This record gives sequence, structure tokens and C-alpha cells, in this order.
Amino acid sequence: MTNADAEADRILRARARALAQPPPSAAPSTMLELLEFRLASERYALETRHVQNVHPLRELTPLPCTPPFVLGIVNVRGRILPVLDLKKFFELPEQGLTDLHRIILVQGNDLELGLLADVIVGVRSVPADSLQPSLPTLTGIRADYLKGIGEDGLVVLDLDRILSDPKIIVHEEVES
Amino acid sequence: MRWNVGTKISVGFAITLAIFVIVGAVSYQSVTKQTEAATWVAHTREVQNQLTQLLSNLQDAETGQRGYVITGVESYLAPFTDGSARAEENRRRLAELVSDNPRQQVRADALAPLIADKLAELQQTVELRKTRDFAAAQTVVLSDRGKKAMDALRTIMREMNLEEEALLKTRADAAQIDARDAKWTIVVGTLLALVFAGLAGLLLTRNIAGPLKNLTGIAERITAGDLSSDVTVNDRSDEVGVLTRAFERMTRSLRTMAGAAEQIAAGDLRTSLQPQSPSDVLGNAFVRMTDNLRRQIGGILEGTAVLGSAASEIVASTAQLASGASESAAAVSETTTTVEEIRQTAQLASQKARTVADSAQKAVQISHTGRKSTEDVAAGMGRIRTQMEAIAESMMRLSEQSQTIGQIIATVEDLAAQSNLLAVNAAIEAAKAGEHGKGFGVVAQEVKSLAEQSRQATDRVRTILNDIQKATTAAVMATEQGGKAVEAGGKQTEMAGESIAALAGSVTEAAQAATQIAASSQQQLIGMDQVAGAMENIKQASTQNVASAKQLETAARNIDDLGRRLKQLVENYAV
Repeated sequence: MTNADAEADRILRARARALAQPPPSAAPSTMLELLEFRLASERYALETRHVQNVHPLRELTPLPCTPPFVLGIVNVRGRILPVLDLKKFFELPEQGLTDLHRIILVQGNDLELGLLADVIVGVRSVPADSLQPSLPTLTGIRADYLKGIGEDGLVVLDLDRILSDPKIIVHEEVES
Repeated sequence: MRWNVGTKISVGFAITLAIFVIVGAVSYQSVTKQTEAATWVAHTREVQNQLTQLLSNLQDAETGQRGYVITGVESYLAPFTDGSARAEENRRRLAELVSDNPRQQVRADALAPLIADKLAELQQTVELRKTRDFAAAQTVVLSDRGKKAMDALRTIMREMNLEEEALLKTRADAAQIDARDAKWTIVVGTLLALVFAGLAGLLLTRNIAGPLKNLTGIAERITAGDLSSDVTVNDRSDEVGVLTRAFERMTRSLRTMAGAAEQIAAGDLRTSLQPQSPSDVLGNAFVRMTDNLRRQIGGILEGTAVLGSAASEIVASTAQLASGASESAAAVSETTTTVEEIRQTAQLASQKARTVADSAQKAVQISHTGRKSTEDVAAGMGRIRTQMEAIAESMMRLSEQSQTIGQIIATVEDLAAQSNLLAVNAAIEAAKAGEHGKGFGVVAQEVKSLAEQSRQATDRVRTILNDIQKATTAAVMATEQGGKAVEAGGKQTEMAGESIAALAGSVTEAAQAATQIAASSQQQLIGMDQVAGAMENIKQASTQNVASAKQLETAARNIDDLGRRLKQLVENYAV
């Protein structure tokens, strides 16, 4: 028991220290509120103004006759929404779906859909001018969807461009 | 000749009988004519008699008249009265008799007025005499009226008599001619009938008896077994023809049978004889006989083949037997020598057996001590096993509880994840609220941090629990193995106890056996002496065996020869 008490004491102390830290100096420039998440082992982020909320991935219904990046549809509080897999755009390795996956519900450009995320890291604020432009190594679609690269290699995606891309509007016919 | 024998005989007799009937009819007719002629003779005599009587009566009447006329006495009138009456009666009778002859009838009719005239003349004279006198009567008589009538009467009567005589003569001649004709008819008819009957008999004899005699002769020869004679078949349709044809068929059938029998006798059994009818006893018997013979000869053929091969095998076997007997005789000699050596060895064995019996007694005592020790060990193993079982039960409970802890940790982990997600959503909402949500964002950050800490803590707990579970599993397995080892130890101890008990028993038995062996080897020694004697006898017997085997071989060769000869004999048959 003494061991557990000591542990609790240690945790409390650590929190006290963390709280005792002075808040970071207010950013002189505008701050970007980002939702950070992970795809495979890479870190990505979206601006929170597009994000409605996050949900655990449950009861995904696959849709036939759709491009590979459309995983299927889900029922979120009575609304039927499509779920896209960004890993298909970024050519990231597939790891299979588990109930640990989350979906990020986003809205914009008259579209409402869910994006698949392996892990939700959290919300953080980043100064807008700390973002660096795209790397020259990034080409193709990855460059198109990119807003900027954060200090620690965080890839910030531009959701407006993603949602305005005509490719994601699925219009396919299957010959019977 | 389409008639059968019955018809022929009937026709012969009928013709003969017809001839006899004709002869009889002729005779009967002749006799009838003779009788008729006799009747007519009697008739003629009657007519003549009546004529004579008539004349006599008329003369009586005349006589009476004369007497009366002369005398005038009444008594003379009697003959006149009677004669007149009777004369009239005679005339009527005569008329009846000659009614069949017209000429005589004419004469008879002519008689009547004459008689009446005469009688009237007589009556007149009588009347005149009576009424007048003799002279008047005499005048009448002298008128010759009566005499003339009388003469006419006599003439007619004579004529009638002559006529009847002539008739009589004619009838007698006709009767005689008839009798002569009848005589000739009888003689000739009888002779003809005799000749015809004889002829018919001769024909029938030749027609029926001849062929029958012929057939009888053939039947006699067939009875004697001679089937060589042929039956000549003609186209006669009567019973004899039928009999002949039947006889011919019978002979042919018998000859077929005989031919088949000849074939069988020659050893050829392939004949396929058909029975003449379902009731053909001989034919059916023949068919059955050939079938049976065929089967039997087939069986004999197979039998001889088997016999031949068997005999060959017997010959080979007996040859081997003979050589075997020789070898065994040699072996028996060697055995006799060996038996002598064994006898000496047995003597040594007897001495050794006594020593072994003493040692075995000591071993018995040692094994008893060993058995007691193993019983103690077994009791100790039992106690260990009980304790091991208690440990195993505790370990099982520990393992189950670890499982429960694992489930609780999973629940906690799930709660932490949900808290984390809620914190993120809260942060998002806070960010949307802008400056007003900042404080809320900090709280959300804090909640998220707490959730993270919960997750880390549960991770550690899970790691520790995993270690515990691994250790528990290892302990459970170790306990189980320990239990098994203890059980095996118990079993082995038991087995050791049993083995030692069995060993003690065996040692005891061995000790007894050693004693018995000592006694037995003594008996064996005596037995070996007897065996040596017996071996000598066997040696003599095997020498005799060799001789017998040689004889057996010779006998088997004879059987083999016999089988081969039998086979040749049977092969003569064609089945």
C-alpha cells in the first residue's frame, strides 16, 4: 500500500510541477488551432474550424462499386456519412481496420464526411507563421493537399482543397 | 381291297347263308304244293263219292217205286221216300263241291232238272197206282220217260267222273314235277353253298393267316434277339396292314436301340437317342443309362486323373520316406551316443542342484526384509501426494482471480480511451468557442492528460498481471507435473513393492524348485539310464523302418502303374 501511496504522491507532484510552469508566451501572431492525428506512423493535422467532432469507428458498411479511397458509410447519430481513407492518397501502408480506429467528422464546401485516423493525438495551437511551405520531395497529390509543415514535422492538411477536389465526388456506373 | 378283316369274314358268311336261305325257300314251296295237290285229290274223291251215292239213291227210289207199283203195298214206298230225299241232298252237296270248276258246274246244273224230272215221273206213277190202278201206272212207265231221264243222268255222271279223273291225273303230274325240281334245287344249292364256304375260308386264310404267320415268325426271331429280318411293308389299309407297319416301326426302333447299344458297347457314349414317346420305357431307360454312363465315365476319368497324380505323389513321398528313414536310422545311431554323454552330464547336474537349493534358502530371508522397506516408502509417497493436490488447488484459484483482474483492466482501458476522445471533442468545441473557450480548452487538456495517465497505469498493471499469469501458469504446470511425478513415484513404489513381493514369492518358489530340481535330477539320472536302453530299441526299430519304407515304395509304384492302366482303359470311352 505504501508503494501505491508513493506512486500517487509522485503523480500529484508531477502534475503540480506541470501546472507550475508559466504558460508559453502568447503568440504574437495568429494561432492556428489544429487537431493532430496519426496515419500509419506519420503525424498529420487539420484545422479545428473544419472539424465537428471525433468518433470511434463502429459499424462501417462497405460500399461496392466505389473507388478504393471510399471505405464505406457509417451511421453517426442518425446521419449517414461516407468515410474516406487518406492513406490511399498518401500511399501509406494499410494496417487493417480495428475498433481502435477513429473517424474525424469534417464539414465544408457543402460536404459532410468522415476521415479515417489511426490515432487521435489531440488539439494543439500552432503559430500560423511557424508553418513552412511544402517540401520539394513531396509531389503529386500529397503536395496538392498540403497546407504546410510544422516545426516538428507535423503535416498540416488543407481541408478546403481536399473537399473541393472533384476526384472525391464519386460518380461511377457499373455495367450490369 | 379296302375292306378290313371283319368285313371280309362277314361277307363270306353272308353269301353262304343267302344260298342256304334260297334252298330252304325252294323246299318250303315244294312241300306247300305237295300238300295242296293232296287236298285236291281228296276233293276229287269226294266228288266221285257224291256221284256214286246220287246214283245209288236214285236207284233206291226207283226200286221202291217199282215195288209199290207192282204190289200196291204201302210198305214198299219207304225206299222211294228216303231215296228221293237223299238224292236231292246229294245233288246240293255236289253243286257246292264243283263250284270252283265252271265246266263241272254246268254239268251239275244240268243234273238238277233231270233229277227233278225223274223224281216227278216216279211220283206220278206212285200217285197213279194209288189213285187208279196198275195199268195207268204201267202206261206211264212204258212211256220210257223215266228211262230216258235216267240214261241222261248216267251220261252226265260218267262225264263228271271222267273230268275229275283227268283233273286228278294232271295235278298228280304237276306235283311230281315240283318235287323233282325241289330235289334238284336242294342238292345243287347245298353243293354250291359248300363250295362257296370252302372258297371263302381258303381266301380268308390266305389273306389274313398268311401275313400273321409271317409276322409271328419275325416276332419269334425278335424274341430270340435276332433283329436282322426285314418286314415287307405293303399298302394294305386293314388291321393286318396296320399291324405290319407297327411291326416294321417296332423293328426299326429296336434296331436303332440295338445300334445305340452297339455304339455304347464300343465305348462311344455320344449317342443322342430320342425316346419314341413319353411312355417309351426302353427308350427313356436307354437315355437315362447313357446319361448315367456318361456321368460315371466322366467321374471315373476325373477319378483316374486324380488317382494317377496321387499315385505319382505317393511314389515321390514314399521315395522321400525311404531316404528319410535311412537318414533317421543314422541319426538314431548318433543319438544313442549322445544320450550316453547326457547321462554323465546329468550326474554332474544333480550335484550342482543340491548346492543351488541351499543358496536359495538364504535368498528367501533377504527378500522378506526388502518387502517391509517398500511398504514404508509407499506410505510416505501417499502423504506427499495429498499435499501436492492442496497446492494445485490454490494455484488454480489464483489463476482464476488473475483472469478477473484482466477483465477489470480491460474495462478501465476502455474508459480511458473514451475519456481521451471526449477530451479531444471538448478541445475541438473549446477551439470553436475561440477566446471564451480557452479556459475550457485547458480543462479538456487536463482531462486528456488524466486519461493518458490512466491508460499508462493500466498498461503497467496489465504488464504486471501478465507476468503474474505467466508465473501462475508455470506454477500450475509445475504443480501438476509434481503431482504426476508423485503419483508416478507412488505407482513405482507400489510396483517396486509388488516386484519385491513377487521376487520374494519367486525366490521362495525358486528355493522349492531348487529342492525339486535336486530330487528331479536324481530321477533324471535314473531316467537317462532307461533312455539309453530305449534308444537301443529305437535303433533296431528304425532299421526295420528302412526296410518297410522300401517295400512301401515298391507298393506305391505298383499303384502308380495301376492308375496309368486304368486311365488308358477309361480313355477308350468317348464321352
